[in-house]
Amino acid sequence: MDQQAQLDLVYVFVFFLGGLGFAIGPFILAHLLADRGTRHVANKTTQLIECGMAPIGDAWIRFGVVYYLYALMFLAFDVDVLFLFPVAMAYDKGLAARDFVEVVIFVGILSLAIIYAWKKGVFQWNRKVYNRR
Amino acid sequence: MEPQSVQPPIVHLSQVRKVLELGRANSLWPMTFGLACCAIEMMATGASRFDLARFGAEVFRPSPRQCDVMIVAGTITKKMAPAVKTLYDQMPEPKWVIAMGNCAISGGPFVFDGQYAIVEGADEFLPVDIYIPGCPPRPEALIEGILELEEKVTGHRRWPRVTPE
Repeated sequence: MDQQAQLDLVYVFVFFLGGLGFAIGPFILAHLLADRGTRHVANKTTQLIECGMAPIGDAWIRFGVVYYLYALMFLAFDVDVLFLFPVAMAYDKGLAARDFVEVVIFVGILSLAIIYAWKKGVFQWNRKVYNRR
Repeated sequence: MEPQSVQPPIVHLSQVRKVLELGRANSLWPMTFGLACCAIEMMATGASRFDLARFGAEVFRPSPRQCDVMIVAGTITKKMAPAVKTLYDQMPEPKWVIAMGNCAISGGPFVFDGQYAIVEGADEFLPVDIYIPGCPPRPEALIEGILELEEKVTGHRRWPRVTPE
């Protein structure tokens, strides 16, 4: 390792420390400069919900997975559309028939995903997880 | 109301404290929190015509954990009082309370024999620092209250005191 490379590494290290300082520094400063504790009138200082109302139940519950699967399907086809943009830019620059066949193959393979999800029952809006803690 | 003791900060130097107080006084963050019609005047104070931003107190925070000032703007019903207490508890130190309007000061027009729904003044359960009379107070009055609070925090007034003509 020559001199220049070592110097570059030092730069990287210094920048890393600087970034770390900016991230952690405020916490340390606040810890040193802030009053410890706070006055309270109803002993609710540590209540997590910050809207004044008393929370009902637990936040650690099981959510229905239905919407998540739906969103996952959306994401797959969203990325699909994203990949079609460069195709649209390059379409008919060379052989048009070959371009068409390639797009059909691409969209066809991705369409298998929709059939798979269909068979699995993703599009049926049933609550799959039902047991509560 | 029982005043609890708050431990002083770890770094407790008078010059540091002065600098901090200056910063706190000139960027008081109120809580986005209105109870009744006085809150309309509070909104007007924050909006462009009266422009509380000139005095650094325009950052109305939606979370009590980010707030310095609780402006109790309006009538405190007995149903709402627990929420007010909770919000006050969740504000970090240093914190101040402004009682804005007659309802927050003493119950205002709702005080009569046999009333059962209204807390007669925020100072029944909160340590109020500044009282702003009026029903409702004009936005200028709220700004004056903020300036009074700044004076209370730093010990000197940054803005000229205007006497009514």
